[in-house]
Amino acid sequence: MDAILTVDGVSKRFGGLMALSDVSFAVERGAITGLIGPNGAGKTTMFNCVAGIYTPTDGRILFADGVGEPLNVAGRKPERMTALGVARTFQNIRLFSALTVLDNVRIARHCRTSANFFGSVLRTPSQRAEERAIIDAAMENLDFVGLGETALSPAASLSYGDQRRLEIARALATDPRLILLDEPAAGMNPRETEALVDLIHAILGRGVTVVLIEHDMKLVMRICKRLVVLDHGIKIADGSPQEVRANPDVIEAYLGKGAAHA
Amino acid sequence: MRGAAHTLKYLLLAAALAYPLLPFRDVYVLHVLVLIMVYMVLAMGLNILPGFCGLLDLGFVGFYGIGAYTAGLLTIHYNMSFWLIVPLAVLNGALFGVLLGAPTLRLVGDYFAIVTFGFSELVVLFLTNEIWLTRGPLGIPGIAPISLDVTWLATLLGVDERWRYAFRGEVPYYYLAMVMVALVFLVMTRVEDSRLGRAWLAIREDPMAAASCGVNLFAYKVIAFAVSTGIGALAGAFLARWTLFISPDMFKFWESFLVLCMVVLGGLGNIRGALVGSAILIALGEVLRVALPKLGLPAETRFLAYGLIMVVIMRFRPHGLFTQVAESTMQSGLIKDLRARIAARRTA
Repeated sequence: MDAILTVDGVSKRFGGLMALSDVSFAVERGAITGLIGPNGAGKTTMFNCVAGIYTPTDGRILFADGVGEPLNVAGRKPERMTALGVARTFQNIRLFSALTVLDNVRIARHCRTSANFFGSVLRTPSQRAEERAIIDAAMENLDFVGLGETALSPAASLSYGDQRRLEIARALATDPRLILLDEPAAGMNPRETEALVDLIHAILGRGVTVVLIEHDMKLVMRICKRLVVLDHGIKIADGSPQEVRANPDVIEAYLGKGAAHA
Repeated sequence: MRGAAHTLKYLLLAAALAYPLLPFRDVYVLHVLVLIMVYMVLAMGLNILPGFCGLLDLGFVGFYGIGAYTAGLLTIHYNMSFWLIVPLAVLNGALFGVLLGAPTLRLVGDYFAIVTFGFSELVVLFLTNEIWLTRGPLGIPGIAPISLDVTWLATLLGVDERWRYAFRGEVPYYYLAMVMVALVFLVMTRVEDSRLGRAWLAIREDPMAAASCGVNLFAYKVIAFAVSTGIGALAGAFLARWTLFISPDMFKFWESFLVLCMVVLGGLGNIRGALVGSAILIALGEVLRVALPKLGLPAETRFLAYGLIMVVIMRFRPHGLFTQVAESTMQSGLIKDLRARIAARRTA
């Protein structure tokens, strides 16, 4: 398997709580991997470790951009992970809500642009060209998720489903190779979820590998090629949706002891 | 409606430009107007921190003081030209901003506010006690006024004269202050509508999401601090060469609070708001200074009025007079083009 991301023995401890203990799995390049598990299983903690918000207490996180050698990126700052090509969305939508839809996405071009204070004040030709390119890239990503026409509205005025799509557009605008989607379908109606499935396949079509955390099992089983199941910070299963569905440990984790034999 | 607002703006600007030349001009009014413009520069500078980055800075006046003393000392010891002093004072302010910011900007929220408050008290203590340098509480009197020496231009043109203009009275300072406000306004609007300004606003809105967009939070906060403190020092340098006397009690904590009130009154993160906030609070301060003694109250009770205004603002307009952030962004040519493109797409 050509792995874009390899999580190798990662543990994360918060005081006395082991949020993750010795978790290992690999994410296949160009596929959709699902990270599932009951509430409090450590899924978002895992995302935060990969995205650089947390430094793992132990273990390695290897990121292979497909060109050079895999890099151990455990403990890198979030902005450096973004520059490397790892983007993410948040479980509780975190938009820049006082700004416009366009500005939310323009900010995401930060790591791919370079104008500084003096360039901005003097409006040098290169700064102007860069600003134009930022708008073009932002609009391209907004059109990709279907929000192009709302570009100049305040981000806070969007519907809940559109706000989730805007977060995805913002993540895509950083030109990632790997995107981490934290419960992208949460709070969406069936029609919006259907559009989300198409969007995720389109993201894959752009050559971006997708990892998602999701509680909608129908959705997960349908679109993921591989699943990783966490429970209480421990990986309890890993494999294709069929394998995971048949795994007694998974059934027990979701439904309680005895359910696997019922 | 929009057109009328524009016309009013230009009328006000024309009136402001013409006022010092009119026969009924009043030196006191001119003095207050210059003071307003000094505070406009301060408010625009401070606005970067709480307005753009969401950092509560209670020690802004410290950098105003550093700028003023840099200018005052360079003038009395080296008789340096104001035009050379301005960049030096700005750099000195920015330098102290970085020195204070680099170790403390990792603190968040109230902790950062406390450190900045402590710093401004430290500046006042330093200015009061390091008598060998600052003459302490006696202050620095007799600072030379600004002069504009363009004899080099005369020499260049082959004219054997001394082309030197010394600033006397309020009028030249008035116009210089206008230029200063206009320049800082231009810098601030351009920065607001740029990669740098967007990074700052992202930090204010949601630091974690900003970092995930690739913004190095610490570096951009330090840049914000350096720019903000540099502008504070600019206002200080002007003050020193305008009032011609500086002393430590001109830079007490109260001044920081006043500038913060201007920014909050105008609307955090709105540059026009900073201008309007300064004009209102300084003008009000002057009116109350005259009116209160007539009512038999000591002039110091005007501080109570400031407090009352802040309470009323917080109650009825919690986001200030102008609530729009990133205002200049929406007026840029690129965005106007985009608006037209989107409209064309909708009708197509």
